[in-house]
Amino acid sequence: MAAKLNSVWRTLKRIWQLWLFYAKLDLLLLISDVRLALIYFSSELLTSIGSVIGLLLLAQRFDGIGTWTLNHLYVLLGYSTLVLGILNTFFNYNLSLISRRIGRGQLDHVLVQPQPLWMIFITEGFAPLSGLMGLIPGILLFAWGLIGLGVSLDLGWWALLVLNLFASGTIMMSFNYIWGSLAFVAPRSSEEISSSASRLLDQLKVYPLDGLGGLLLGSLMTVAPVGLVAWYPVRALLGLNSSAWSIWITPLAALFMLGIALFCFLKGLGYYATTGSQRYSSLGHRS
Amino acid sequence: MIENGLGQQTIIRRGRWTRRLAKYAKTASMAASGYIGDSPLFMFDYVMRVLRVLVLLSIWRIVLSEEGASGLSLQAVLTYTLISEVFFSQLNPRTSMEDAFWQGTIAGRMAQPLGLFEQFTSETVGRWFFEWCCFSIPLVLISPLLGVNVLPASLGAGLLFIVSLLLAVSVGLALEYIFCALLVIWQLPLWVMLQIRSAFITLLSGAMLPLAFLPDLVGEIFSWLPFASMASAPLQIYVGAGNTLLLVLLQVFWSALLWPLAHWLWFKGREGMISYGG
Repeated sequence: MAAKLNSVWRTLKRIWQLWLFYAKLDLLLLISDVRLALIYFSSELLTSIGSVIGLLLLAQRFDGIGTWTLNHLYVLLGYSTLVLGILNTFFNYNLSLISRRIGRGQLDHVLVQPQPLWMIFITEGFAPLSGLMGLIPGILLFAWGLIGLGVSLDLGWWALLVLNLFASGTIMMSFNYIWGSLAFVAPRSSEEISSSASRLLDQLKVYPLDGLGGLLLGSLMTVAPVGLVAWYPVRALLGLNSSAWSIWITPLAALFMLGIALFCFLKGLGYYATTGSQRYSSLGHRS
Repeated sequence: MIENGLGQQTIIRRGRWTRRLAKYAKTASMAASGYIGDSPLFMFDYVMRVLRVLVLLSIWRIVLSEEGASGLSLQAVLTYTLISEVFFSQLNPRTSMEDAFWQGTIAGRMAQPLGLFEQFTSETVGRWFFEWCCFSIPLVLISPLLGVNVLPASLGAGLLFIVSLLLAVSVGLALEYIFCALLVIWQLPLWVMLQIRSAFITLLSGAMLPLAFLPDLVGEIFSWLPFASMASAPLQIYVGAGNTLLLVLLQVFWSALLWPLAHWLWFKGREGMISYGG
């Protein structure tokens, strides 16, 4: 038992060390060129704002959308921005768009490292400074909406918020990995498929989906789980759903999606072990 | 003799133009077929666009009553949204020039026996044909199932829409080449700038939300910018909203202003481009 605990402790310590290491690299990258750093910061900030501004202006003009008041929408937009911000902070450098790495033969760079694959995946894309500007608008919008709603929130609610944010991020990542695994068998044509999958969720995640028909809504909750990225968890967190159990739907769906993603990825990796990549060049780019 | 000489000269000139047009057509056809060869999973993006239009239509039905708002009826807004998606690529024309910078293949493009603008424009148009067949026409065909009337406000509006759409493409392509030239001149990081551009262009152009639905001053300012000539103008004409003459004149103005600017910027920036990419 003690040996097991010791092993877990050493693993956590190693993850922490690697996060610090990649944070340092991120800092070095940014301070090596101040102009470039400013461009990156502004771009992250503007992109985050740009992804929500349309719906914000529309909601402002019509004083909400359906049953969603302006404050509800601020929370929804803040939550959806936060989910993407968290992913960009922890899984940058194409870790979330895995088909690019697989399709370009760059997975080999990871496979030769003296670390388990899963540990590399959860640490190598850590870019806390590059991703910071994507988080700030999300936090501000979310806080603004919560203050406007004037709801009293206890520690349990914040714990559920963290759990749901984590679950929404897992769903987005799993969706990207499920599709991205196709790049193992079709590296050229599927190189950008994770980007397409990510774009699908990213573009639609900001919308309240209440008025959609049953079939479409069902599809957007399962096949293309847009609704689970922000709309459904926010409804549950704000108490807009009638069932108290609804708060657990997104975390459970995240577990399910993670299982499918792991299955697809490992299956693809097994195939890759027999074929390798024909697209690899010594420069590390596609051929 | 003179007549013969002039006649012969005319034939030579026509032959040269025919050959040049044939080159453009060949480039366009290669780009169109390249879609399937390079990425058989291109349908994924079309699925996303169908879902996006379905969500937007549903939001308009929630937000607007039958009378609509800001002079646009609900039916007009639904038509606006659907037509915007049908002509998405024409209302926001994108060439593969940025990609050529990234790949470093732009240098090879300069050695080809066609002007750069002509090459990239031909490729872009080629991809449009494919998209019309695989996405735009099917979307129009299923529009009755979505409860949307895709017909223009009148025959005149439909005809003027074609003129306005051509002008919109002209303004959009000019802006695209200006954007590319600025990337080179200012040595900006490509993907970062593309990200910012994508985030704002749909809002500024009125492709997603009619500019009339934006807060008063914001919508008014946006409607005078060149981006509005890319999407808002033709879409307004299609649904019979706005001052048609003013919209078309504004498009002509921006087109006449932006193309010389694009050529000038490109002329200024092309020396710098050699060190860019590769």
